[in-house]
Amino acid sequence: MIHQYFEESRRKWLLIIGGLSCTLTIAFVLSLALGSVNIPIGKTLQFFIGSSTGERSWDLILLNFRLPKALTAVAVGSALGISGLQMQTLFRNPLAGPFVLGITSGAGLGVALVIFLGFILGGFLELSGIGRNWLLVLSAGMGSFLVLLIVTLTALKIKENVSLLIVGLMFGTVASAVISVLQFFSQSENIQAYVIWSFGSLGSVAWSELYVMMPIVIIGLISSILISKPLNALLLGEHYAISLGINIKRIRLVIIIITSLLAGTITAFCGPVAFMGIAVPHLSRMLFNTSNHLLLTPVIILFGATLMLIFDLIAQLPGSDLSLPINSVTALFGAPFVIYLLIRKKSLNYS
Amino acid sequence: MKTLETKSLAIGYSTGRSTKTLQKELNVTLHSGEVIALMGQNGVGKTTFIKSISKLIPVLDGDAIIGGKSLFSLTSQEVSQKVSLVLTDKPQVGNMSVIELVAIGRHPYSGALGFLKEKDKQVIEWAINKTNINYIANHKIGELSDGQLQKVLIARALTQETDLIILDEPVAHLDLNNKIEVMLLLKEIAQSGKSILISTHDLQISLQIADRLWLFNFNEPMVNGVPEDLIINGAISKTLSLDHHDYDLRHGRLSLQITGIPIKVQGEETITFWMEQALRRSGFAVDTNANILVQCHNNHHFSIAGKDYESIQEVLQALDTLASHHLSTL
Repeated sequence: MIHQYFEESRRKWLLIIGGLSCTLTIAFVLSLALGSVNIPIGKTLQFFIGSSTGERSWDLILLNFRLPKALTAVAVGSALGISGLQMQTLFRNPLAGPFVLGITSGAGLGVALVIFLGFILGGFLELSGIGRNWLLVLSAGMGSFLVLLIVTLTALKIKENVSLLIVGLMFGTVASAVISVLQFFSQSENIQAYVIWSFGSLGSVAWSELYVMMPIVIIGLISSILISKPLNALLLGEHYAISLGINIKRIRLVIIIITSLLAGTITAFCGPVAFMGIAVPHLSRMLFNTSNHLLLTPVIILFGATLMLIFDLIAQLPGSDLSLPINSVTALFGAPFVIYLLIRKKSLNYS
Repeated sequence: MKTLETKSLAIGYSTGRSTKTLQKELNVTLHSGEVIALMGQNGVGKTTFIKSISKLIPVLDGDAIIGGKSLFSLTSQEVSQKVSLVLTDKPQVGNMSVIELVAIGRHPYSGALGFLKEKDKQVIEWAINKTNINYIANHKIGELSDGQLQKVLIARALTQETDLIILDEPVAHLDLNNKIEVMLLLKEIAQSGKSILISTHDLQISLQIADRLWLFNFNEPMVNGVPEDLIINGAISKTLSLDHHDYDLRHGRLSLQITGIPIKVQGEETITFWMEQALRRSGFAVDTNANILVQCHNNHHFSIAGKDYESIQEVLQALDTLASHHLSTL
């Protein structure tokens, strides 16, 4: 009976992972093909095999714009989904997300300082596109790293997870307050530059930045698969986890570092991308009906990436020259989806 | 074989700078095959004791020897192979299946990713059979009743293959039927050579299945003994503060102070027993020398002074009428 069960669940696992990989591939190709200029799918595939579509402008669009953007979308969706999952498991709280530890606030503070103070010192808006991008990435990165440091030190001191959650929230509040003060004393161009950063963007990541972002995200994702077992034990609660031989302090630190690294990196390069972190874990648990991290982690990596590609496609408004800020698309299309699933399942008793 | 031995163990917790000691100088031994019920009032340190000897929280003083080794020398990984727990924390894993939850008990033995080997699957199957939860093995945890969940958690503890299993209030939320089932299951597990330590408030059940009781008292040394001895010498009444309430330990019920009209009950034994209970609850005194006689017949039939009644309810109504006459004649 047991063997049959494990055999069945293995088959189900392979089916889900296989299916999701196929969907991800399709979404990836579509996101390359569709946009303000639609490139035929045949030609897009040809670009991959023969590394040329036959038309120079299409090659340029694919190589310099669509490919980095699609890769960024994949990284954002999976990284934020995974950090959300880990926070929800660590805090045993369905409302937790990648940003509860104050990472966005830290990144936002870094960016705000650079934009507002940089303007006073002169020259921020005069910087060329690439230099400006790197400056934003570095400031957001420094901001999140600082928060990571503070939260890690707090985690070593504090025993209870809930207290840690509150410390993260408090830190976020303080950061927002400082940002408000900075905004209050600055000029409208700067405020606009900051507001645009806070919309989130997938399109501003160039190849040179991808070379930095991708390795970090990949390391984070692989580590998150490797800690599936302690995460499963944590689902039963801290006491059970300890009695199963898990070093709770160490695993908590590992989770915090992975989450901060993933969410911090994504926020540094793409701004605070909303919704994905909280919703993707819930959507995955509801759609695939499992809490087992060994299954859930790869599912969220694939599903989060697919969902982000789809949202990005919608934001492009294919066929038109306009595009929407990514944050409004994720929320506008994602929230009804979550509500629909919740109503269909009739309860939140799935996490 | 000794599975647990405490040596001058002191337990408690520290909040900030102050330390609160709940129990000290605990010297107890637990052997394999034994069921021990740990009893005491709320806040006396039962759960703290459980957490201390399973290394969830630090002990304040003294030592606990688990499976021949000092708690201090054991890593938490080693403890997890010697002690398994069933706690009062409700696992919030609604859509985890029963088998998945039971399988988590294999964590101390499985590799880094938690993949199960053939041996692990055999142990899981054995634990599921032992606890009779085959019929819900594919269900999700969120669909289970309290009684079913408790058995699943016990199965999970069993898969940890430890010599000592500790359960905190294992029957607190269960109905009578499930209570008995869980307790019989624990007794059976003990008979297969494991030690079972239960913290409980359920006196009736601990009297029936526990080989010994450990009684924790406030500001006094703990008491360790066979249940019957502790009843006779009054230790149980003292620990649970039952002496104020006229608790009848033999029947496990409150003996209400009766000053009502005396009634005599005769007839078949089981029905007589329940008739007497109903009378006492309703404020009558049961007295073999009383003038009023209630006859209990086999077919759930009663008669008072030649009149027939169909149920205890009718008898009580009749007696109430009688009692009001009785009062008015006084």
